[in-house]
Amino acid sequence: MKYNTRHIINKIFTVVTAASVVLMIVILISVLGPMIWRGSSAVFFKSTVEFRKMQLDLHHRGDEAEIGDEISKSEIYRDFIYHKIDVFKKGINTDYYTDRVKQIYRKFSKELQYNGIKGDQLSRRRKFARGIRRDMEKAFKSLDKAEILQIIDDVNKCKGDERIANTKADEFFVLADEYKETIKNFDLSKRQQYAQALKEVEGLVRQLLGPRSDEPLPAMVMDRYGATRVDLAKELLDKIIWKRQWVQQNPDKPMVEEKVRRATQFAGTELESIFPYIEENFDTITIPRFTFYWQYFFDDSTSGHYFGGVGPEILGTLILTVLAMAFVFPLGVISAAYLVECASDNMAVRIIRMSINTLAGVPSIVFGLFGLAFFVLVFIPFFGGPSKPCILAASLTLAVLTLPVMIRASEEAIRSVPKTYKEASLGLGAGRFRTFVKVTFPAALPGILTGVILSLSRVAGETAPILFTGACAFGSVPKSLFSQTRTLSYGSYDIAVGDKIGMLVPHNQYGMVVTLVLLIICLNAIAIFFRAKIFRRLKGH
Amino acid sequence: MENTITNREAEPVAESNDLSLVLTPLEDLRGFLFHHLGRLLLFLITSSSVIAVFLIFFFVIREAMPFIKEHDLIKFLTSKQWYPEADTPKFGALSMIVGSAYVTVASLIFAVPVGILAAVFLSDIVSFRIREIVKPVIEILAAIPSVAYGFFAVLVLAPWLQNKFGFTTGTNALNASIILSIMALPTIISVAEDSISTVGRELREASYGLGATRFETIFKVVLPTAHSGIIAAVILGMMRAIGETMVVWMASGNAAQIPAPWWNLSQSVRTMTASIAGEMGETVKGSDHYYSLFATGVLLLILIFTLNLISEYFLVSAKKKLGKI
Repeated sequence: MKYNTRHIINKIFTVVTAASVVLMIVILISVLGPMIWRGSSAVFFKSTVEFRKMQLDLHHRGDEAEIGDEISKSEIYRDFIYHKIDVFKKGINTDYYTDRVKQIYRKFSKELQYNGIKGDQLSRRRKFARGIRRDMEKAFKSLDKAEILQIIDDVNKCKGDERIANTKADEFFVLADEYKETIKNFDLSKRQQYAQALKEVEGLVRQLLGPRSDEPLPAMVMDRYGATRVDLAKELLDKIIWKRQWVQQNPDKPMVEEKVRRATQFAGTELESIFPYIEENFDTITIPRFTFYWQYFFDDSTSGHYFGGVGPEILGTLILTVLAMAFVFPLGVISAAYLVECASDNMAVRIIRMSINTLAGVPSIVFGLFGLAFFVLVFIPFFGGPSKPCILAASLTLAVLTLPVMIRASEEAIRSVPKTYKEASLGLGAGRFRTFVKVTFPAALPGILTGVILSLSRVAGETAPILFTGACAFGSVPKSLFSQTRTLSYGSYDIAVGDKIGMLVPHNQYGMVVTLVLLIICLNAIAIFFRAKIFRRLKGH
Repeated sequence: MENTITNREAEPVAESNDLSLVLTPLEDLRGFLFHHLGRLLLFLITSSSVIAVFLIFFFVIREAMPFIKEHDLIKFLTSKQWYPEADTPKFGALSMIVGSAYVTVASLIFAVPVGILAAVFLSDIVSFRIREIVKPVIEILAAIPSVAYGFFAVLVLAPWLQNKFGFTTGTNALNASIILSIMALPTIISVAEDSISTVGRELREASYGLGATRFETIFKVVLPTAHSGIIAAVILGMMRAIGETMVVWMASGNAAQIPAPWWNLSQSVRTMTASIAGEMGETVKGSDHYYSLFATGVLLLILIFTLNLISEYFLVSAKKKLGKI
């Protein structure tokens, strides 16, 4: 081959290897970047007045007077919007009018009895009023505007009739006029259609603004407040202003999504004006303010993580990892010490080494099966504990899982202690045990701690082993070692695929997983830093 | 330190004559016993990992026993029908076994070349300083928990694949393979790099001295010499991919089927690990379904154990070979 071609191939090869490393860095950034970016919005975001209201109600955070002031300011706009919706609703949902007309009739007959009118007189006057009532009910039901106006005119002719004059029945006419006013700008033929569209709008407005001030407090916490974040509020606003529908333009082509202004649906009605109104006054209604929600890492969450933070998950993860470490640390260090200091290359040691390698390769889900079959069903009941998944079983399973990591790291750390340390100690007359405890172990400790941190990060992220041994998606903060716990890892799984509500709060989905990833990256960064330092020290710098 | 020295001097033993250095028979016996008992105790504690492996095999197989006794094992391994909750339940794990193999092989197609190239880059091409920068990247890739990768697969990668390539579903074999290959990369790189670095300067320098370029040196001298270590690296990466649970459960779509044209990565598959993770929560303890999942676990254990033995064989032979040179 020519010299030049060989060199070109060589250069290409160098570039390709470099590209593979660059590719890895790109992968790392593209996996972590979007997650961290979106996850950070769980903590840093623009909150609306609803968020501050929630914080005040649930956690007594913030200045009561100030928030009250904000609420009353935005309430003016809210009430206006709700009022508009109510007025429009009356045109569609005539039950309101039917109820009222029945009420008036009842009041009227009571009044008559109260005034001592009896017998023939009473029934004659009541019959007349009943006639009006029937006419009006007919008008409310009718979809023909001309007919309605005719009926209302007829009813109005009865005004001043001696049978009902100066009684409660006068309210009939007030009501009739009100109804006439309501349907003036109203296309009755679209009543069905309006009803459907209004239901949608009302639902969205409620999600945006929260329940009305005069409504009883909803049972679910997630229904008690409107949009707490400006990004969610903006999404809702967009949904309110624009209606999306799937349209088939061409029979062969797939359906296309189309945006229609919702205001056009309600053209010519009372409701038309609220759409630009909400859009224009969006800032005055929501009162956005930049918020650093650091309590996210401590707060409990409402069902499905709709509101609140990841406090119990962090706590559960910490309990599990610390317990697992407490079990595995002595075992790991002693095993490593034996392997380095005492073991010769005989059959038993070879079997031990092979077991450690096997243990390192066992799939995490098999550890889960093992934890269920051994710790949950046999081991803990044997000592009198309950035979159900619990923190203790989960942490024991995790301890077995992380044993090889711990042994390998400690072994390496103990091996890297310079021989001169040991020889000096032995030369001074110390026994092997004393030498290990007083000289080798302290010298190896930083390295062992690095191993501990790495095992911690491994344990914190494991999900499969704790699926059947102690993790749960909901539940309170654990009270004893025999209860189940929420963890960041299982929570991340559950909020991503197991939970319908999770889809509504992407910031909380990402927030959970980013908390886990950051925790692990921090642990790893500490370990890497430690190791670099030890490396430098052992080299004598 | 000074404190201990003064303490020593205060001891009466130090004041007595030379005979104190000679141990009495009792002390001798005690020392002997302590030494050996101590060793025994340490040995027992160290064997805890052997006990752990033994317990894992014992208890997983024990729970799988009722299934193995009652059902036809050949059918379990060769039938595609997996209907564990039907009126006449059928337990054919073939589609899951194929699914595991499918995503594993697909992920290795990407991970092995990239991993070996990156290992070569780190050991032979760049300076120590750059290696110190790149290493943490690999470590962080290895440290990101599998559930976070699964999360990424479901919420970021799946919609992207669906929109970009028009797949019917974004959670499919391709998605799972991409993520698995990212997860297998760190293992492959670190083991391969180890074995490539142990090849030693002499061989490389001899090759360079004969006028070979770096490409030729690596492909004709270094990689052939380190081949056992590299095979071990690939097997370890394979073990990581087969044993992975959360990612395949979240990203593979979980349809118990064998992709129809075999190269069609856009179809959903289901792996053994995912079926254990997904179905164990819904089974009644003591049912056939429950035992069958443990049987799947046994299958996984045997598979991993065999792969582990093979990788160990290659690692040992790599060590022997390089030791001789």
